[in-house]
Amino acid sequence: MNEANVEKKRLENPPQTVDFRISRREKLDAPQYTETFTVPYRRNLNVISALMEIRKNPVTKDGKQTTPPVWSMNCLEQVCGICTMVINGRVRQSCSALVDDLLLAGGGNTITLEPMSKFPNVRDLTVDRTQMFDHLKQTKVWIELDGTHDLGPGPRMSQEDVQERYAYSRCMTCGCCLEACPQYYDDNYIGPQAIAQVRYQNMHPSGKMTRDARLEGVMGDNGIQNCGNAQNCVQVCPMSIPLTRAIYETNREATIYGLFGWLRK
Amino acid sequence: MAIKISRSFVMRKLHQLTGIVPLGAFFFVHLFTNSKAMSGASVFNDAVADIHHIPYLLFVEIFGIFLPLLFHSVYGIFISAEMRSNTMNYGYGRNWFYLFQRITGVFLFFFILFHLLNLRFGAIPGLESYGNPVAGNADKAFAIVALEFQNPWIFILYVLGVTATAWHLAYGFFLFAVDWGILIGEKAQKMALYACVGLAFFLSAVGINAMVAFNKKCGLLPSALCEEAEKKGIAEPDGSRRF
Repeated sequence: MNEANVEKKRLENPPQTVDFRISRREKLDAPQYTETFTVPYRRNLNVISALMEIRKNPVTKDGKQTTPPVWSMNCLEQVCGICTMVINGRVRQSCSALVDDLLLAGGGNTITLEPMSKFPNVRDLTVDRTQMFDHLKQTKVWIELDGTHDLGPGPRMSQEDVQERYAYSRCMTCGCCLEACPQYYDDNYIGPQAIAQVRYQNMHPSGKMTRDARLEGVMGDNGIQNCGNAQNCVQVCPMSIPLTRAIYETNREATIYGLFGWLRK
Repeated sequence: MAIKISRSFVMRKLHQLTGIVPLGAFFFVHLFTNSKAMSGASVFNDAVADIHHIPYLLFVEIFGIFLPLLFHSVYGIFISAEMRSNTMNYGYGRNWFYLFQRITGVFLFFFILFHLLNLRFGAIPGLESYGNPVAGNADKAFAIVALEFQNPWIFILYVLGVTATAWHLAYGFFLFAVDWGILIGEKAQKMALYACVGLAFFLSAVGINAMVAFNKKCGLLPSALCEEAEKKGIAEPDGSRRF
């Protein structure tokens, strides 16, 4: 959730070193194992800077020389979503995961890093999130434009709609919502991420023109009905997107479409 | 445009609908009838006899209760099997409710099976109702149930069953409203959740009180409250009606 206004907490008596217990995997479908690395503590250490420290000299706590752990990173300011992993059992971005906060919350001086469990684990902490993009394709979350000729100014939207849509537009496809969803595994459900994008496009006056196609996209066998209302998605979303609102607004549209759509044929 | 709706979408909507109507509605009727035990054997037995006289009873039972129940419970087991619970890492209230809806559902699958075999069909050996079910024996209905509830294990089992049903139904109302897009906003959901918790407590209390009433007149309430029926001459103490 939004922690912008929260006062930074610091460890009063920081440890000399911090242990990182990291899940490792050579390649897709290879067996998973864990290795523990020790990193000297310093102020403002975050998980990515600790991983960079380990990469410099990949020797485990037991003194065994090993390969450097692999992870993904890009923006380092929690807007790209690529560095998402499971830290101490909870999914979040590793760039914004501060070691002080983790140690204060977890006690002890060990931090566990695992890849997200709901996506194919390509190597170590890296996952393949192609399925999230497939869900976006399935639900047609774009606005159809025909030709390059000038269409004039776009239609107007109310300020309220603009603000709600802005919230949905912040999705960075990180996968936190799917990782925390107890209904999502084996790609069996399109999930909050895609449904929020459906809502995002269906609210747009031009997007409304192809609304029915998007609704059918979310009413397939892996569709919106698989939501179990555990509402973990909205709790873990790092961009504070009103994911449950998107699901329930779309529920209303999908239910009405399912109940009465055939009567209009 | 041709409308394509997946099978699982229709099944989920049917699952949600059957939970409210007819099953939820039936639970209210059931508690209403049970509560007549508060006024004693004659009133309760009359109520059972009234049910026996419902026109098209066999069809009402099959299409209004048994088939929806079978569908809701069997499909509910399939839905529960989809769960990958993670309350240990994500211990939010709603995540626990999600888990609890499935636990109560699976428990109720077995409890209702037992309850039907026991009091509807009289097929559980060793119990008072064996070969002697409440259904079809309106004159002995109160006595059969009263004797069964003197067994503390049966009584505890039924307390659990009633409580689980009350919760499953009350939260089921919430889930129905959410899944059919009736209840959308965060604030509205919070209010509705309080209402559902209140409803669950209320239904549990009514259900348990009716159970106690089989062996103590008026249940947990002062018995003076339940003597009105006889005072007004609506029912006579010996059991027959005055109309």
